[in-house]
Amino acid sequence: MRYVIIGNSAAAVGCITGIRKVDKENEIVVISYEDRCYSKPMIADVLIDYPDEKLLYRDKDFFEKNNVTQILGHKAIKINPESKVVILDSNEMVPYDKLLISTGGVPFVPPIPGREKEGVFTFTELGSAKKFKKYIEENGVEKVVVIGSGFIGLEVAYYLREIGKEVIVVELLHRVLGKALDKRGSEIVETMLREKGVQFIFNNTVEEILGEEKVSSVKLKSGEVLKTEAVVIAIGVRPNVELAETARIEVNRGIVTDNHLRTNVPDIYAAGDCIECIDITDGTRKNLPLFPLAFEQGLIAGLNMAGKEITYLGGLPLNSLKFLEKPVLNAGIVEPPDSTYEVLVNDKFEKRGYYRKAILKDGKLVGFVAIGEIDRVGILTNVIRQKIDVSNIKERLVSLDFGLVDLPEEWRKEKLKEDKTAYKDWRPVG
Amino acid sequence: MSKKRKLMKVYPIEENCISCRYCEVACTMVHSETQDPVKAYKLEGLLPRATVEVKGAVSLSLMCRHCKHPFCLDACISGAITQDEDGRVRLDEDKCVGCWGCVLVCPFGAAHPHVERKHSFKCDICEDRGFPACVEACPNRALIYDFER
Repeated sequence: MRYVIIGNSAAAVGCITGIRKVDKENEIVVISYEDRCYSKPMIADVLIDYPDEKLLYRDKDFFEKNNVTQILGHKAIKINPESKVVILDSNEMVPYDKLLISTGGVPFVPPIPGREKEGVFTFTELGSAKKFKKYIEENGVEKVVVIGSGFIGLEVAYYLREIGKEVIVVELLHRVLGKALDKRGSEIVETMLREKGVQFIFNNTVEEILGEEKVSSVKLKSGEVLKTEAVVIAIGVRPNVELAETARIEVNRGIVTDNHLRTNVPDIYAAGDCIECIDITDGTRKNLPLFPLAFEQGLIAGLNMAGKEITYLGGLPLNSLKFLEKPVLNAGIVEPPDSTYEVLVNDKFEKRGYYRKAILKDGKLVGFVAIGEIDRVGILTNVIRQKIDVSNIKERLVSLDFGLVDLPEEWRKEKLKEDKTAYKDWRPVG
Repeated sequence: MSKKRKLMKVYPIEENCISCRYCEVACTMVHSETQDPVKAYKLEGLLPRATVEVKGAVSLSLMCRHCKHPFCLDACISGAITQDEDGRVRLDEDKCVGCWGCVLVCPFGAAHPHVERKHSFKCDICEDRGFPACVEACPNRALIYDFER
């Protein structure tokens, strides 16, 4: 038996962890075109010269201890499911018995004229982050335009300010983090970033990138031309399904998997940013490129690959902004889609520096936002996950001292006394 | 996986808790340089890893449950959180970058953020000490140190 994992990030590490819980013996091979197992969400830190070794997500020791062979620096270009081999760009053939595809996401780059010029960057891998840093240094870049105000865009903007560069963020919507955060949350984040010196242009987009070989300015949809020495495109990521398609694996909004994370091709599993998964807040299938979900999917896929049958519950959208002075966390639905949802707010941001918001539907919590004071908000995340009825303690949900004493005694008994904390124990209550 | 793990951890007994918070004080103290409860808080800026919750007559002290499925491990982007063979969940405060992922997902609210220092912290079952200080300090047997159930 030989397990092969393509990709070397959260889902891959989750998969190794899962397999080794069941199978300590058989060979595991990891294939990645990158040279190490680093933390993808931390790459913007290279801008502030964060030490390389700190970017490492799992060191050599982890792979040795788990008896994993890494094939690094080579890209898997084709899967042949009939003969069960993965073909690398070196023409090497790697046979598998069980395969995990965790090829992650690729940055979405819209067809903006001039996007091929020197000085245009995306920001989803360490290699490109380092190239950007080098470009800034070698060309004495002082001014940068960031397209998109998602998590990556804002983090890049923040760190560029940290090293004294002038930054303008151009956003198509009328606020930052439009897809991830509620209006008030966006407003708070925008205020914090403006205080840091980041400039914003909303309801606008870059129509053309101008310059000879190198970027010298961008032309906005509004007609305005902004001088700039570099452009970062951070509009979003798309599932990387290219390799899966070589094996004729079904793809929709990402690789399609069943509730065991199996694809439609026998012995091939998929996990992480490359798949389509169920959003447990509304039951719809979508691509949720989030770190904790990738790890969890990898883990569940690994357990299943090693023969331990376990069902994947679906993912809960979760976000955390790590770079601001005040933490910004959210989970689930943050803006009620219609009037059947109930919203509770505890906004003391101006006076006390915190903001809490909870969204309920039919007596159940479906989402929250927490800014400033975030201690113990994981309890809320679990209330969403387990669909616990909170109709009689609604007001407590936005209180800073909300705790387990607010939950049913039965729940505490089960989780604390009986120690029910295995994966299946976190399924919805009742 | 369903095999019982050989792990000892701290269990709260809410019927016995009188919310005196001795556990919080003892925890902060033993994790400090000065080994002094006031200095640990005021000078070293340390915070307790156990949290006493009170609501009317009910109170209990809570700390990391070292879950069989630790959500914090899923969410940790820096690699600071790991799980040992015996099930113990570790958080390396030096490796932690303060992404607050663990805070966001811990169902017990047992992974805490130290926002000023940009790292999370949680119960380490007093690894360096051999016996949990909170259990020792509890005057009413509301905390016990026992094998995992």
